Amino acid sequence: MEEKMSGENIEEVIMMEAQITSLQAEVKVLQLQQQDNHKNMTIHFRDKCKDALSYICGKRQKGGKEEVLSKLKEEVEELEEDLQRQSQMNGISLNSCTIKTLQSSDNQLVQELSVSGHCSELVFQVEFQLSEVKEGQRSERTISSLNVVMDANDLQNFSSFLSEVEERKDLLLFFRTLRAYSDRCDDRCRTFQHFQDKYPSVVSLPGGSRSEVMTLNHPELPGCVLVVNWSVEVSREGGVAPKIDLLTKIPETALQMFPSQAVGGAAESFQSLLRILGPEATMESMIRAISLSQDT
Amino acid sequence: MQGASTKGVLSQLGLLEVQARSRRAQPQQQPQQQQQQQQSHVKELKVKVEQLILQRDQLRAEIQAHQNLQKLRMSLDKPCEEDEEMDDDSEDSQILRLMARQTQLRDLLHAHHLVGGYDIVKTSQGKGVCVSLATAYEGTYLETYKLEIDLKPTLRISRHNIPPFIPLNSIAEQSHMQTDIKAFLNTLSQHLNAFSSRKQQFKLVKELFHKSVEVLESNVLCSKLVLMVTVPRENTSVLCKLDYMDHTRCLPTRVSFECEDEELPDSPQWKKNCSLLMETPVHKALLTMKEMENIA
Repeated sequence: MEEKMSGENIEEVIMMEAQITSLQAEVKVLQLQQQDNHKNMTIHFRDKCKDALSYICGKRQKGGKEEVLSKLKEEVEELEEDLQRQSQMNGISLNSCTIKTLQSSDNQLVQELSVSGHCSELVFQVEFQLSEVKEGQRSERTISSLNVVMDANDLQNFSSFLSEVEERKDLLLFFRTLRAYSDRCDDRCRTFQHFQDKYPSVVSLPGGSRSEVMTLNHPELPGCVLVVNWSVEVSREGGVAPKIDLLTKIPETALQMFPSQAVGGAAESFQSLLRILGPEATMESMIRAISLSQDT
Repeated sequence: MQGASTKGVLSQLGLLEVQARSRRAQPQQQPQQQQQQQQSHVKELKVKVEQLILQRDQLRAEIQAHQNLQKLRMSLDKPCEEDEEMDDDSEDSQILRLMARQTQLRDLLHAHHLVGGYDIVKTSQGKGVCVSLATAYEGTYLETYKLEIDLKPTLRISRHNIPPFIPLNSIAEQSHMQTDIKAFLNTLSQHLNAFSSRKQQFKLVKELFHKSVEVLESNVLCSKLVLMVTVPRENTSVLCKLDYMDHTRCLPTRVSFECEDEELPDSPQWKKNCSLLMETPVHKALLTMKEMENIA
């Protein structure tokens, strides 16, 4: 009887020991997987999110679902508000940010980030590596291998600046310049739109209000066209400046018949007016000049 | 752990064997006590198995939640791709969705910070806002300056840690801070970044060329730099004066040389050096000049 009993016990013990071994192995694998997850995905669980996670994972004792939900909702709302404030103030809207941790130790963290968004009508995507090295109390953050992607339409003005920015890894400069460029483009768009609304018979915007070109032409003189070409130039250093030129399309015969300064030297006169009056007033006076001829 | 438990099985078996043998030799030895011992051991093992199962299930649940979050997060980052295949009837899906949005919002806010956003925060009294201005040079983040601005009745800078030699008030006036706070912050940020960049360049000159280039003079605003360099073959000294009159830029506006050999500054080689210093950050220009053996 006793002998039999111990025999059973031995079997049970062996079985359980084996079960423990296999469970321990399983837990170890799961722990590694969890560590990997935390590394690859920057879902940092903090505060309310941590509570919510432990709720989901079965520890449902704390105040129940309603409390977890309402706390989480409150936090998300606060963050939404904060994000809106930043976007509005920075003039930049970010749509997505993905972070991948490449290396993580006590005093060094290397991450790969991809951020995309838009600044007014300009769409961008930037990718860069960010390393943070801690030395005592100080920590130094450095950006390496910056890569900027922009819409092909905007690249024309940006190309030399972009290569400079990528070489200098100057993320902050890129965004300062992008914002300034976008603001100048918005100014132009507003001005063009204003003139088209005010003088619809003379002003036309063949490429839409966001394009660089505004054409002026008298309805009874279809052959004579004045073209205002307003581009926004970006220097290698990141300086943003508008460049406005006037081009005239006047038939040869008309020029031969009226070799006056007013027509032939229009482009130069336009430039000196620009210097004196600024772009809006100059364009206004040009448009007036063309419109007035309608009445006389 | 695994090793220990294998050992556990063996030692347990060994123990049982010894006990069985001794029982056979001395059949009178308290069989009851032995049985109790065995039973309590079985109990211990059972508890351990239960604990391990609990731990495993917890880990599994966490990993599952993590994977669901990751999926949700990806569908948030790339909304155009096919909708997530999460089972909507899962009672935790609402919590998971909020959690995913929460992590996304946190990452987006982090990205705003990294791209040089103003990190605008309402001050504790609610009267105004606190604004951060980040500076960086060639990928390295430098000082962050802070401004506290009262919003009512008029915009007023109440506190800040911007160095006194940055003309904060005149920048505020010139950029019409009262009506256009964004323009003001943009200009101020330009000034601060240019200052930090010049400071960093001067620091690099001292670090990289402490043996060959002597810094004779510089000022706190880093708008002036006087260097002494040596021409290797002739062994003559040249005084390089760099003026940074445009305080929004980190490149000099004027470069001049002084030397005993009065013809040297006009030589083609030094004319080249002059334009190099005008167009490239000073520490890089010096490096090139050294490589070309123009300076020692």
